[in-house]
Amino acid sequence: MFTPRKPRREKDQTPRKKRTCRFCDAKEIYIDYKDEKRLQRFIAEQGRIIPKRITGTCAKHQRQLVQAIKRARHLALLPFVSDTVR
Amino acid sequence: MDKPKKQYETTFIVNASLDDSQIEGVISRVQEVVTRNGGTVTAINKWGRKRLAYSINKKTNGFYVNMELEAPGTMLTALDRAYQLDEMILRHLTILLDRKALAARQAAAVAAAAAAAAALNPPPEAAPVPTREPQATGTVTQS
Repeated sequence: MFTPRKPRREKDQTPRKKRTCRFCDAKEIYIDYKDEKRLQRFIAEQGRIIPKRITGTCAKHQRQLVQAIKRARHLALLPFVSDTVR
Repeated sequence: MDKPKKQYETTFIVNASLDDSQIEGVISRVQEVVTRNGGTVTAINKWGRKRLAYSINKKTNGFYVNMELEAPGTMLTALDRAYQLDEMILRHLTILLDRKALAARQAAAVAAAAAAAAALNPPPEAAPVPTREPQATGTVTQS
């Protein structure tokens, strides 16, 4: 991972994932809370919502995504805390 | 009557230990509340029995019902109250469908119609059954 030409702070040296917003790529206009399989990709194993700096989701879609995940959690479609942690 | 109607979507979880007829009864009761308060139910989607992601009232399974409504805003309080009074309903969520949601719905309907036209049997979009098997990972122990 070390690139001698561009010395970076240690924080920046974590491997970068894809930086494009998946929802923008798919021209998605609405993120549905019922689509739990889709949302599952944006929560960590513990059940946390993955920050957009990791997933690359744009701010606009991240806001929608967060709302959808929270709605799905309320309806027990997604866990607040995953079973593996409990 | 003259109040402007809006499109809503409501989802609720019925106690899955009830018989199918009793569940039907719960659904019709909800429907009645909507119609009595000047709304109309445009669609009912029964997702069926699903495993809950976490237990609610010590139950691990629930019967999910999703309804699309067109109703004046005053219906919401009545509906909310009906949900709270019904002990067989574990959870409920009512949301207002905004412009984006409606546009997405329309696009999905168009796509579904196109798919149906392309093939006689459109791909069955059954309620996805979540397979959440607790995976035993060795790194869960924290001091």
